[in-house]
Amino acid sequence: MSAVAVQISGLTKAFGTNHVLRGIDLELFKGEVTVLMGANGAGKSTLVKVICGVHAADQGEIRLHGRVIKSSSPSDAIASGIVTVHQNINDGVIPDLDVASNLMLDELAKPSGGFFLKRNKIHADAEKLAQSIGLNVDVTIPVQELALADRQLVAIARAMAHEPELLILDEPTSSLSSIEADRLFELLDRLRDKGVAILYISHRTSDIQRMADRIVAMRDGEIVGTFTEKPLDYNAAVNSMLGQSMADAHLDIKQQGAPVLQVENLQIRENAPKISFTVGEDEVVAITGLVGAGKSKLAAILYGLEKPVSGSMTLKGAPFAPKSARHAIDTGVFMCAKDRGTNGVLQDHNLTKNITAPFLARYSTFSFLNKRAEDAKTRKTINDLSIVCQTEHDDIGTLSGGNQQKIMVGRWLSEPSTLLILDEPFQGVDIKARRDIGEKIRETAKGRATIVMASEMDEVMEIADRIIVLSDADIVGEHMNQDLNLKKIISEVAGMGTKSDTQKQANG
Amino acid sequence: MKLSRRIVLGMAGGIAALATGFTTPTFAGEMPAPFDNAGDVKIALVRYLSTGDFFQAYLSGVETQAAAIGVDLRVFDSRQDAALQADMVDQAIALGVDGIIIQHGLTESMQAAAQRAIDAGIKVVAFDVDVENAAIPQVEQSDYLLGKLALEQAIKDNGDSFNAGYVYVAGIAPLDRRDVAWQDIKKANPGIKELAMFGTLDNPIANSVANQARSVLQANPSITVMFAPYDEFAKGVKIAVDEAGMTDQVDIYSADVSTADISAMREPGSAWAATVATNPAVVGEVSVRSLAMLLAGEDPGHNVVVPPTLITQKFLNDNDIKNMDDLSANMPQFAHADVAVPAWMPLPPR
Amino acid sequence: MQDTPITNQAVKPKKTFTDMAIRYGFLLLMAGLLVFFSVASEGFLSPYSAVFIFQSVAITGILALGVTFTLVVDGFDLSIGSTATSALMLSAYVMVVLEMGAVAAVVACLVMGALIGLVNGILIVKMKVPDLLATLGMMFLLIGLQRIPTEGRSIATGMKLPGGETANGTFSPEFLWLGRHRFDFFIDNLIPVSVVILIVVAVLVWVFLELTRHGRLMYAIGSNQRAASLAGTNVNRYKIVAYMMSGMLASIGGILLAARLGRGDIASGNNLLLDSVAAALIGFAVLGVAKPNAFGTAIGALFVGILLQGLTMMNAPYYTQDFVKGAVLVIALVFTFVLTGRRGGSNH
Repeated sequence: MSAVAVQISGLTKAFGTNHVLRGIDLELFKGEVTVLMGANGAGKSTLVKVICGVHAADQGEIRLHGRVIKSSSPSDAIASGIVTVHQNINDGVIPDLDVASNLMLDELAKPSGGFFLKRNKIHADAEKLAQSIGLNVDVTIPVQELALADRQLVAIARAMAHEPELLILDEPTSSLSSIEADRLFELLDRLRDKGVAILYISHRTSDIQRMADRIVAMRDGEIVGTFTEKPLDYNAAVNSMLGQSMADAHLDIKQQGAPVLQVENLQIRENAPKISFTVGEDEVVAITGLVGAGKSKLAAILYGLEKPVSGSMTLKGAPFAPKSARHAIDTGVFMCAKDRGTNGVLQDHNLTKNITAPFLARYSTFSFLNKRAEDAKTRKTINDLSIVCQTEHDDIGTLSGGNQQKIMVGRWLSEPSTLLILDEPFQGVDIKARRDIGEKIRETAKGRATIVMASEMDEVMEIADRIIVLSDADIVGEHMNQDLNLKKIISEVAGMGTKSDTQKQANG
Repeated sequence: MKLSRRIVLGMAGGIAALATGFTTPTFAGEMPAPFDNAGDVKIALVRYLSTGDFFQAYLSGVETQAAAIGVDLRVFDSRQDAALQADMVDQAIALGVDGIIIQHGLTESMQAAAQRAIDAGIKVVAFDVDVENAAIPQVEQSDYLLGKLALEQAIKDNGDSFNAGYVYVAGIAPLDRRDVAWQDIKKANPGIKELAMFGTLDNPIANSVANQARSVLQANPSITVMFAPYDEFAKGVKIAVDEAGMTDQVDIYSADVSTADISAMREPGSAWAATVATNPAVVGEVSVRSLAMLLAGEDPGHNVVVPPTLITQKFLNDNDIKNMDDLSANMPQFAHADVAVPAWMPLPPR
Repeated sequence: MQDTPITNQAVKPKKTFTDMAIRYGFLLLMAGLLVFFSVASEGFLSPYSAVFIFQSVAITGILALGVTFTLVVDGFDLSIGSTATSALMLSAYVMVVLEMGAVAAVVACLVMGALIGLVNGILIVKMKVPDLLATLGMMFLLIGLQRIPTEGRSIATGMKLPGGETANGTFSPEFLWLGRHRFDFFIDNLIPVSVVILIVVAVLVWVFLELTRHGRLMYAIGSNQRAASLAGTNVNRYKIVAYMMSGMLASIGGILLAARLGRGDIASGNNLLLDSVAAALIGFAVLGVAKPNAFGTAIGALFVGILLQGLTMMNAPYYTQDFVKGAVLVIALVFTFVLTGRRGGSNH
C-alpha cells in the first residue's frame, strides 16, 4: 500500500441541531481510488464540502501529507492541493468560453497574472495540459459545443492544472452514458498512475466496480465500513451503507396487456428511420440507449413538447397528437422529466406545492384551492414512497436528493394516468431509494402503460418487463426482461457490437 | 420653476404669424437697422430646460415677439445636457446667427460658450443663467420680489404675528432667492414663528408635498399661514389643508400661477389666499426685445428685470377670472411688462 | 406564507432565535417605530395619524402590489411609474378635453393599463426581450407619449389646446370623489377612498396569490419556469397576465393620483416606481419568506409610510427621508439574502 496522502480525524459538522458528520476518521492514499458510498443523506456531500473548504468543520482536522489544512474557502483548498469536480458539470466550466480559456481559467483568475490576455500562450499551455491527461479536443471551440462527456473531461482537466494531491469527484458520471463514462475512467486511470489520491463518490455500481481500489461506506454521518480486500465485496459495502441487507430485485414479469400507446412510423428527427412500437396496459417498458440516442426526444414528442417529423400515434385507439404538456396531461399522459433540478423541482416550495402543481384544477373550486385535500394527498404520497421528511410543509430544499426524486416521481403517481413516462427516474439516487422508486412504479403499473427511459443497464433490468433499445433514433432491439442476453443488448446499445468488450466489463 | 399655463399670447400670435408666413410687419419701415430688413435677421434660442408648462409658455413668448418683429428664430433644445447646450451655441455661431438668447444652463459650461459668441460678433442675452459677462444683459424675473410681495400680502391679511409653516427645498436657485425674502421678512417681524419647514421635489411633487404637509399640520395644529413659494408646493399644501379639515384656519401664500392654480384658488372657501407671478410668456417676449435692442445698437441695461404681479383670491373672484386668458385680459400688468420697449418696437398683437 | 403550521405534527423542527428574528423581526421593528414616534412626537398616536399614513402610502402601495405580481413570475416591471402618470394624464384628458364623465375616464385608464401590460408581456414572452429592457423601453415610451396630445403641457380646465380652442371639460365630481371623499369610521369623515381601495386591492391580491391555483402556478413559474411548464402550466399566458395586472394596478394608482390632484400633471413617475419597488422588496423580508408576497408588500409600504410620517412630524428635512428609505431597503435586502444564504447552507 502506498503512502497516506490525506488523513482526516474526528471530523464533526452540525447544521443547527442536525448532526450531519459525527466524527469521521478517514485515510486516503496516494495513487489510489477510494470510493465513498452512502445513501442519500448519509453526509457524503457535507464531508466533501468540508474537505474542499465550502463548510468549516466544527471539530477535527484534515492533514495533507502530515500538514494540518485549514481551508476557509474553496480557493484555499485548491491552493493547498485539494481539487473538487462537482456533480453539476456546468459548475466546473464556463460554457461561453473556449476550451483553452476554461482550462487556464484559474491561471487567469490569479491576482499575479498580467493585465492583458496572452492568447497564444493560453492556447499553448492549454494544449499541453490537455495532452498530458489525454484529452483530445480542439481547445479553440467553445465548451458549450462539446458533448457532455467532453465537458466533464474539461472540468477535470481544469482541476488537474492545479496538480492536485487529492482529487474529489462527486458523481462525475451521473450525466454520462456508459461509453462516455469509459473515457473518463481512462483519464482517471492515468491520474492514479501519476500518484494522485482520488476520492470518488458514486451510486453507480458499474463505476464502482470499474474504478474502486477501496470502498468506504458511510451511514448517518459515520464511516461504517471499509473494504479493501480484492475482489472488493460490493454487496457487503451496500449492505453496510444501508445498515440492512439488500436482496436482489425480484421481478414478476408481466405480459403486455391491451395496447395503450401505439406508435406508427414515427420519425424522431430529420432523416431518422421510422420506428413503430406498442406499449400495453399493465406493463413497464424500459427504453434504453446512449445519451443522444433519441430517448429524451421521444419522450418530448409523447409529452407534446415537440412535434415528430412524421408518423402517427394513437392512445387507446384514438389518434394522439399532443400539442402541449397541458394537452398531454389532460389526455392522461404524464411525464416525469429527467434532471429534476432543472425540469422538476420547484425550489423554495414545500412538498405539497411540488406534488400537486400539475393537478391544481382537481384541488380547486372556482380556482380556490382546497389545501386540506392537497395536504392529504401529499401525506399519502410521502407514506407510499417512504419519503423522509418532517411534514408535508417542509421546503423541498431541505430534503436529500433521493427524497427529492421520490417527490418528483410521487407527483406523477399521485393521480391515475393512461400512460406514464419516466425519463431517467433514478438519476442521482442511492440504491435504496432506487429500489423504493422502482417498486412503487411497478406496484402501481396496473391499469396504465408505463415507459421508463434509462441508460443504466442495472436500472433497466430492475424496472422493466420489456426492454426497447434505441440507437441513433432507431429501434435496434426489443427483449423481454427474462434470460437476457446482456452481451447482445449492450452491443445494440453501443451501435451494433462496437466496444462490446468494455461494455460487458462495465455492466457485468 | 413656474409651471404657468400662459400660452395664450404665444399660440395666438405665433399661429397668426405662421399663417401669414412671416410677412414683413406693417411698420417695418419705421424700425432701425438691421430690422428694416427683419426677415434677414437670424436669432437663436439655446435652451437648457424645456419640459414643463413654464418653459412651454416662455418659448411661446419668444416665438410671438420674434414673429412680431419679423426675425427668423431658430430653437436649439439641449434637454438638460449642459455640454450639448454649449455645443449648440457653437452650432448657432456656425449658422451665422445675429443674436443668441441663452435660456437657463450652468454658469460653468455656458460662460466660455457665451464668450465665444461675443468674440464672433454676435449679440447675446441670457435668461436665468449668470454667464459672468459684462457684454451680456441678464434677463430675469425677480424671485426675491416674488417672495416678498406674497409675504407682504400675508402680513396684510394676518397681521405681523402668526404661526407659519414653510415649504422649501434648498439648492434650487429660484427657491433659494425666494428664501432670502422669507428670512428678511421673518427678521423684520419677530412675531412670525416658523413652526415647521418641509418640502420635497419627489415627483409628482404636489402629491408628495401633500403627504408631508398633512403630517406637519397634525404635529403643529396651531399653524395659520403656509408660505409655499412654488405653485406645486401650494397645490400640495392645499390638498393637505383640505384633507385635515383646516381650510378655514389656514391661509396659503405662494408664487407662480396657472389655469389649474386659478381654479384651485377659486374653490369655495379655498385656503389659497394669494399668489405672486411673473408671466413666463412675457419673460420670453422681454428676452427677445432685449436682444433686438442690442442688435439695433441700443442698451437694454445689464439687468433686465421683469416685475412680478400679486394675484389675490379676491381679485380672481371679483373679476370672475377662470383661466390665464381672463387673467391677462383683466390684469394688463400681467399680460405685458413695460420693459425693454423702445418706441420702434412692434409688440405682439393681443 | 409557505409554512402554515399544521396541528397534527408531533415532531416540530425547533425554532431557533435567528429563525424567530428573521420571521418577526420586521414586524417587531415596525412596532418599535410606532412606540418611538408616539413618545417622541406629539400627535403621532391618533386615528387621523394612522389614516394619514395609510393615505400617504395608498398609491405607492397599489403600484407595489402590481410589482409584486411581476416579481412573483420572476419578472420585473419598470414601466409602472410612467403607466400611473399616463393614467393620470389620460383621465384628465378624457374629462377635460374630451369632456366625458368619470366612468369613461376610469374605464379608459384601466383599458390602457391592461394594454400596456399586454404589450410588455408580449415583448417579454413572445419576442424574448429581457423584462428589464422591455419595460424600460415602455417606460420611456410612456413618458413621451403622455406629453404628445397636449404638447408637453399639464391638463387643466380652460387650457389652450394645440388646435387653438379652449378645453372646457372639468374633472367630474364623481371622479374627484375618489380622491377626496372620506368614509365615516367611528369618527366622521375619517377614511379616504384611496385607503379603502388599497385595502381591497391588497386583500384581493393576497387571496389571488395565496388561495387560488392561478397564484400558485405563478409562484411555480417564478421558482422554476421550465419545471412549471413541464407540469402543464401555460407559462406564457400567466406571465402576460402578471404584466397586465401590473399595468392595471398602476393605472388604478394613476386614477387615484389624478383624483387627488384634480388636474393632469406631467410627471415621469420615477419616484412612484422607486418607492413601490422598494415596498415590494421590503416585503420579501417582512415574514422572512424571501419571496414576493402581497402581505409583505403592504407591510413594506406601511413601514416606509410610518417612517416618513414620523420623521416629517419631527421636522426632519427631506434628504434624511431619502436616506432613511434607502437604509430600510438595504436592511430588508440583507434580511432577505442572509435568509436565502442560510437556506442554501443547510441544504446538505
